[in-house]
Amino acid sequence: MQPKKATRREFLRMSGLAVAGMAMATCAQPAPAPIQAPAAPAATSVPPTAAPAVKKPVTIQWWTVPSEEFSEEAQRKLVDAFHAAQNDVRVEISVLPENGFSEKMTTTLGAGEGAPDVSFFWTDAWLPQALDLAPWIARDKFDTGQYIKGFFDTHSQYKGTTVTLPLGVGANFVMYNVKVFDEAKVPYPDMSPDATEWLQMIVKLNDPAKKRWGGDRPRGPYRAIWLNFGARMYSDDGKTVEGYLNGPGSVAAYEWLWDLVQTNATPTPADIELLGTQGTGPVDLFMAGRLATATLNQGHMLNAMKAGLPFGIVREPGPTGKPRHVNSWSLAVGIWKGTKEPEAAWTFLKFWAGPEGQKFLMENGNLFPSIRSVLNQYPKADLPHVKAFFQILEDNPVRAITVRGWSNSGILNAVKDLWDNINLGKIKREEIKPALDKAVPAAQKALDEARAKVGL
Amino acid sequence: MTTAAHEAPIRTPLLSRRWRLFLGHSLAYLVMSALAFVFMVPLFWMLSTSLKSRWEVFAWPPQWIPVPAHWENFRLIFERVPLWRYAGNTVILVIGNLIGQLFAVPLVAYAFARLRFPGRNTLFFLMIATMMIPYQVTMIPLFTIFQRLGLVNTYVPLILPAFFGGPFFIFLMHQYIKTLPRDLDDAARIDGAGTWAILYQIILPLCRPPMTIVVVYTFWFTWNDFLHPLIYLNDISKFTIQLGLAMFRGRFDVEWNLLMAATLLAVLPLLIVYFFAQRHLIGGIASVGLKG
Repeated sequence: MQPKKATRREFLRMSGLAVAGMAMATCAQPAPAPIQAPAAPAATSVPPTAAPAVKKPVTIQWWTVPSEEFSEEAQRKLVDAFHAAQNDVRVEISVLPENGFSEKMTTTLGAGEGAPDVSFFWTDAWLPQALDLAPWIARDKFDTGQYIKGFFDTHSQYKGTTVTLPLGVGANFVMYNVKVFDEAKVPYPDMSPDATEWLQMIVKLNDPAKKRWGGDRPRGPYRAIWLNFGARMYSDDGKTVEGYLNGPGSVAAYEWLWDLVQTNATPTPADIELLGTQGTGPVDLFMAGRLATATLNQGHMLNAMKAGLPFGIVREPGPTGKPRHVNSWSLAVGIWKGTKEPEAAWTFLKFWAGPEGQKFLMENGNLFPSIRSVLNQYPKADLPHVKAFFQILEDNPVRAITVRGWSNSGILNAVKDLWDNINLGKIKREEIKPALDKAVPAAQKALDEARAKVGL
Repeated sequence: MTTAAHEAPIRTPLLSRRWRLFLGHSLAYLVMSALAFVFMVPLFWMLSTSLKSRWEVFAWPPQWIPVPAHWENFRLIFERVPLWRYAGNTVILVIGNLIGQLFAVPLVAYAFARLRFPGRNTLFFLMIATMMIPYQVTMIPLFTIFQRLGLVNTYVPLILPAFFGGPFFIFLMHQYIKTLPRDLDDAARIDGAGTWAILYQIILPLCRPPMTIVVVYTFWFTWNDFLHPLIYLNDISKFTIQLGLAMFRGRFDVEWNLLMAATLLAVLPLLIVYFFAQRHLIGGIASVGLKG
């Protein structure tokens, strides 16, 4: 054995030196990126007065995801089109997996560093980190009136100002499988189906031997079906729960849900948990013919069209004669307020969410634009389901009623037990009204607290 | 009692020893085969799904053997996502992490197990305590550090931490080294060996079981890691295999058939590593567990 004279002390010293060396080597990486102040609102504090002459091409980061509406390829082409249209701004695109985009954005926005200049801001919690676009919109006289009103009003505003622009439109509607209806010899539903008749229809479509359900269940209260029944969480002035949360409309909607569950023609929450696979709707079961009807959206519609599945589209059910509502949305796109290049970011944002970008994504992808004049040029607008979708988009948007600048989650928590008990079949129909009455104090407290949090 | 025992009739077994052994083994094999079948079902479902068309996946009754089999799915996944490139990127990370862990873990574990220095127990306790901190707590501070060092969108944040040793591995190896007789160290020292020689020529060759665990688990963790590459990498050409798999999940639905085809290929390296290392792995865990 070779004699080694290193003592323990020397061993420890050398180990320490090795670790220190590694740390120093790490610190000595060449050309580190400039340190950004955490979420510095510098860009917001200096409202632009005039579009400055850009000296040289500025590079900005754009994070996006691939989608049925805008594939990776279409978005890369969009960048090429943007580069061809001007020479001042270069865009570095990162197409990230949709599953994980939120974690990445939350981490970078939370750190106040490393976030993209331009991106989706589709989570309300991110909006405080979005640049206030109002001064830029005013300076450039950017026409916000071009957006479909409901979508701009309810999806772009935060604390009374515009922080994002609406990209595309989406909505929930009921898709029905024509083959299943034909096989069961059931007439296709009306465009505005009656809630009571709906229950009878799905029972006829139900076929346990084939593991086929007639329809699915709503994914939450106080969405389109609830509002169709006239249900409201609180008064129009947003101050009172009593008489609204437990009002006749709410009671009727919950009773309808109770009736729906009792038909045994819908998958249980456990079935959906196991087979639903996507929070956006049980599209796999629908496409496999195991759900005769399902509440889905325009992305699912595009997939069904691509698969050549015969299907139709109708509104979500409601009582006949009452105004219809729609869960509709737009993708909020904005600029990170810590950006070093707000001018360049605004230039690209205008292009992406403006008429040129949305038209490009409509023609090269499948985007349904949020700009009326562009939407009117949709190439497949004559298809019956596309027509039905456009018709549904005109209904009263749920967000216009439920989004008030504060969080409704506390109020919904107050009625969560009722929701669960109905879905699990653990409550009698006549117990619904008392259960809602009982939830009122907790809901009122939650409403008061939510309002107080936003200074109301 | 002795008398009573003598008076008891001698019971002859119903079956000969050979038959009893045969039946015992048969029963054991039967139970193990049944369990193996249960554990193989998800793997078989994955294979079956990978050969289906997109919307056949949830059809009823389920088709275990799809007809026709859509072998083209295995071609499509490479057209959709550059999986070879992502696999290559992941191999770089695996190698980097293996080098880091194999360098740092024995050093730290040996120091804690054998050397005496002030604050040793406190430092060891602190190191163990870091295992209790959820990653979500350190995620943002770590990101900030690497961002300020200009290392985001490089592989350094995904490799460098391994050079400080994983606390779980250090703990594992520390426990194992403690079971080795100190006489070995003393004998080597009398022969003139220094601390480094004792570590690398005496202790490490005896640490094959825990080292195997370090290798296999490091490979496994790194290969399957989704969150770290997601957070630190922006450039799609640097993505790893798990990020590639995530690309088959769309905003509105999942291409299960393609995802399963890609996943099947992605788990193959893990299965191969496990196949070759299982004897050492199980032996390693058992020995560390028993002696620790």
